[in-house]
Amino acid sequence: MAGIGLSGVTKTYPGGVTAVDGLDLTVHDGEFFALLGPSGCGKTTLLRTIAGLEQASAGTVSIGDRDVTRLAPGQRDVAMVFQDYALFPHMTVLDNIAYPLRVKRIPRAARHDRAREVGAGLDLADLMARRPAELSGGQQQRVALARAVVAHPKAFLFDEPLSNLDARLRLSARTFLKRLQRDLGITTVFVTHDQAEALAMADRIAVMDAGRIRQVGTPREVFGRPATSFVAHFIGSTPMNLLDATVTGGRLTLAAGTLPCPADLPDDTRVTVGIRPEYLTYSKDPVEDALAGTVGIVEHLGSSSLVTLETDGAAPVGVVVEEGAEPEPGTRGWAVPRPGRVLLYRAGGGDLLA
Amino acid sequence: MLFVAPALALIAAFLVFPALWTLYLGVLKYDLAGSNAAAPQFVGLGNYRDALTDPRFANSLLLTVAFVGLSAVLGQNVLGFLLAAVLRDAASWVRGVVNAVVLLAWILPGTVVVFLWQALLDRGGGTLNALLGTPGAAWTLDHPLATIVAFNIWRGTAFSMLLYSAALGAVPRSQLETARTYGAGPLRTLRDVVLPHIRGHVLTNTLLITLWTFNDFAPYMLTGGGPDHRSETLPVYVYRTSIEGGALGYGSAISLIMLIVNLAIALFYLRLLRRRSA
Repeated sequence: MAGIGLSGVTKTYPGGVTAVDGLDLTVHDGEFFALLGPSGCGKTTLLRTIAGLEQASAGTVSIGDRDVTRLAPGQRDVAMVFQDYALFPHMTVLDNIAYPLRVKRIPRAARHDRAREVGAGLDLADLMARRPAELSGGQQQRVALARAVVAHPKAFLFDEPLSNLDARLRLSARTFLKRLQRDLGITTVFVTHDQAEALAMADRIAVMDAGRIRQVGTPREVFGRPATSFVAHFIGSTPMNLLDATVTGGRLTLAAGTLPCPADLPDDTRVTVGIRPEYLTYSKDPVEDALAGTVGIVEHLGSSSLVTLETDGAAPVGVVVEEGAEPEPGTRGWAVPRPGRVLLYRAGGGDLLA
Repeated sequence: MLFVAPALALIAAFLVFPALWTLYLGVLKYDLAGSNAAAPQFVGLGNYRDALTDPRFANSLLLTVAFVGLSAVLGQNVLGFLLAAVLRDAASWVRGVVNAVVLLAWILPGTVVVFLWQALLDRGGGTLNALLGTPGAAWTLDHPLATIVAFNIWRGTAFSMLLYSAALGAVPRSQLETARTYGAGPLRTLRDVVLPHIRGHVLTNTLLITLWTFNDFAPYMLTGGGPDHRSETLPVYVYRTSIEGGALGYGSAISLIMLIVNLAIALFYLRLLRRRSA
């Protein structure tokens, strides 16, 4: 077992595209770590650079206390699970799981025993004689995981491990993966574009954009106090309200009303106010320190609804309302922020001020 | 039926009729000139008996097997695969140049290629002798089989290369990379991942180039079957006996034997292919 250290890692492809740009990151021993970001942000390139499938253009990669920057993938002692699972179609489940041991020239009987043991732990005991084409998506994923477990690597690298499963299976696979990682205690880095997946599974998350890391933190930190307005917008199943405002006499002036300013900022400072729809309380009567608007769209989310308040000419404000308390479209409504949940960002896509 | 009639008529006229005519000729003592030209004699299976007991036929069959095995099954197959595998990761301009050169050998007319090879191998002013510093070495006389083998590899590798390029492109990259991260070297990856994926392509390619090479007449233009029958493959033997030697009936019988050998080869490969899908 070992942590993973990246320092100054840059990956520039021939042709001049920089996928990863001078990136520093430490993944602790035994940690379940998510690389999260929109497509094209460099997260997969970063994972492949850790695996050695891409060679870093600059910087160093270490696994444990070994510098592996110049080592071939096979010498790095990592196991990668690909998005399509990459099972060998001509081999049985048993031979697929035993493959890493076959490469290590472990005798047939010994490697099959080990593969059966690991396979049984992943609920594959009855499927050992089948070919991958005869398995369901979830079973294929477990075979790919079993193959990684058999290799007994220093670290697991998962590339979008859940994206090939249907929505319901994805939820159970999430729980399953998290339990497996905790039981084995092997350092794991996984790539995902799904913020809910990262929040649910990871011990810590690195949010990436344009080849750089925008924030590293626990799911609670990343969700509760996003470091930049990009992270704020990207994290959360309902997007955070990001509203233009100006500071006037210790208060924030927005298009939809005024709010107390949570920080001591000079007058006329232009800021972006970030409030999650979940952290706004809806009121159908006028109240102090609230954002006012006309109810536009009401979207049902299950046990709650997302109400969009249209404000004159400015960005609409989303509010999450308990089920049964949804207002009628067209009526006036007010949204009151919960104390301590108003975030301020430097105007124009900037960093967190308070 | 009405719409396929023209096609059927053409096939009947140019494929079925000649085949049956060959079958008919094969049981006759029918020569290009002399009394047997005017009134062919029926000899039954006599021509076949003669062929199968003729040491010149046995020599020719053996030479053909060596020619096919060395130049097609081994030479074109392996070289074509290696070129495709190496070019896969090569810079695009290298790939372009090599593709163009190899394809050129494939699309040039046989007579032109033979002419180039005669210039290459010529005893007096040949390019190869100039390069190797061996003036006066008579390649086509001293090493006739090696000459036609090298010639056929040079000429036919392009097909295998193209076919394998396409086949290798269909091997999922993630499977190759999985093998790599578990520490599998190139040879092991080839055996465990690449070959199982392209097995069908290998068999199809080997079948095609085997049949083409078996029936290839171009060696005749390079060595004329000689010296002393040392490069006389079956198509050359048929030509020399029936056209040069005038024994049309005997030549037809050998042609039919070739056809049967071809069928046997095709059936053998098709069986292997079917076993894969089972």
